[in-house]
Amino acid sequence: MSLLAIFEQALNGLIISTLYALTALGLSIIFGVLRIVNFAHGEIYMLGGYVYYCAASVLGLPPVVAVASAVLVLMAAGALIERSLIRPVHEGKVDRPDEYAIMITFALSVFLLNFANSVFGPWPQRPAPLFRGRVEIGELIISGDRLAAAGAGVLLILTTVLVLRYTWLGKAVRAISQDRGAAEIFGVDVSRYSMLSFGIGTALAAAAGALIGPVFNVTPIMGVIPVIKAYIIVVLGGLGSIPGAIVGALILGQVESFATILIPDTSRALAYKDAYGLVVLVLILLVRPQGLFGKRERRA
Amino acid sequence: MSGILRHRAALPCLVLLAAFAALPLLGLPDYWIYTTTIGFYYALLTASWSLLVGFVGRISFAQTAMAGLGAYSAVLLGQHLGLSIFSGLVAGVVLAALVGLAIGWLTLRLHGAYLGLTTIAFAEILRIAVTAEHGLTKGSLGLPAEALIPNGTRQNYYYLFLAVTVASLLVMAALLRSRVGLFFQAIREDEDGAASLGVRVTLWKTLAFAISSAFAGLAGGLYAHFIQLITPSMMSLQEMGFVLAMAVIGGFHNILFAALGGVGLQFLLELLREMGEWRLVVFGAVAIAMLRFAPNGVFGLLAGAFSSKRGDR
Repeated sequence: MSLLAIFEQALNGLIISTLYALTALGLSIIFGVLRIVNFAHGEIYMLGGYVYYCAASVLGLPPVVAVASAVLVLMAAGALIERSLIRPVHEGKVDRPDEYAIMITFALSVFLLNFANSVFGPWPQRPAPLFRGRVEIGELIISGDRLAAAGAGVLLILTTVLVLRYTWLGKAVRAISQDRGAAEIFGVDVSRYSMLSFGIGTALAAAAGALIGPVFNVTPIMGVIPVIKAYIIVVLGGLGSIPGAIVGALILGQVESFATILIPDTSRALAYKDAYGLVVLVLILLVRPQGLFGKRERRA
Repeated sequence: MSGILRHRAALPCLVLLAAFAALPLLGLPDYWIYTTTIGFYYALLTASWSLLVGFVGRISFAQTAMAGLGAYSAVLLGQHLGLSIFSGLVAGVVLAALVGLAIGWLTLRLHGAYLGLTTIAFAEILRIAVTAEHGLTKGSLGLPAEALIPNGTRQNYYYLFLAVTVASLLVMAALLRSRVGLFFQAIREDEDGAASLGVRVTLWKTLAFAISSAFAGLAGGLYAHFIQLITPSMMSLQEMGFVLAMAVIGGFHNILFAALGGVGLQFLLELLREMGEWRLVVFGAVAIAMLRFAPNGVFGLLAGAFSSKRGDR
């Protein structure tokens, strides 16, 4: 394997990692604040791609506006989902809240996937690209839309991290993640910030879907594989941990880029590509359920 | 769980059984007999899933993967080791039970979302492996299987599936009515409390996974030899989503209700074919509404309405 090929693999891994990280970050914020895994996260990601498609290709809006509309539409949808389906968990209105939260988000994913299937049809749609042309770094050639998607992804991740670190909103979100009851005593409006956090979480997934849509086409099942990557990343980094989501994404992107080389038979190597991360997920959960950065809980 | 309850549930169950047994005799067209037979496959899956989720409180997204495991092992062992169909089916059930035992044992200390994620990972690894090893399984092209009943008619299969489903439900019901059923529910309500009262939590949590997987493996093996072509898509998470929605709509705190949800929805899905994909949208929406407002499912609601009307709650 030549040096150039190694660079190319590493760079591809890095670009993909950014978008994985964006999706995983949303999942992690939701878990941190609400203590639930959103099993419909992949379908939110997919809907982000479709909103982008509608805005950019059907309405003809500029790509930046299309990404922004995907973010806003699904942020509102996320807030609505939290208000109607998730809030009862924290108000003690459902029996066995853990199970309820898992099953209702899983049922939501069935609903949303088939909804997109009915409205847009199962065939792939190709939205207008974010950025045309390509970028050359020495002998390395990267297509422009991939780079633009990754660049926008990095920007969004940085913004989210800074908001969480330095604003009042971020402080409230982190406070609730650490101790819901204590945050409430100190005057944080927990139900308002829960709704907002769920909205931010779904907005980040939607952004990832909107950015990747023009690169790989949008289809109703486009969220199924990426969301599994996001599960792997958040488990690897520690559920609810923000740095964990980012480091986890970087690790997974590289593992997948290079692990393909391990099996000599290329068609089988490609077929198993999605399995490596899952093996990592199982191992982490069995050996160290709190992940690399997570807090240890007695009941994982 | 006194004798009165058993007595009261017995009559509706017998009526139901008689109705299912009479369906083909009342001139149900072949196509609908076929559809209902597939419905019995889902009934077994939803019932076995409810045994684990509704009674032990252990969430699993690997139920359809276990059905796939049972199906592929039954067919492949039959072809490569020259086993008869029957021994192939038994081997599939045993293998599914062993893998279930292993998953149950490995995930003992995981709960809730963590358990959900681990079972998703197991299910997907299994599906990816079956798809990737196309030399053995023919991948997504599908693996042909022998007919379970040589020259069997649709009716033969219908009655066989009905018999297996009823027998399996009886075994599950007997298990749940025994002390083991109480252990399961005690674990669901309070694991530490159950352990402190002497319930062998580790043993029963592991066994529950194995038992549930075994029934899924049986369902899968029979299904393979009935439709005679299996593909890895039977193990997909979308398929798992259907099983979950069927169990939830039927009522996943009762294995009979969950089974009725499976067969009933399979029937409805075929009946509403002209709605196209929208029927699945409605189906998902109903499952969400059920979970939120009527966690005992449609049949739970019906049973509740019926018993309060008679005033003997």
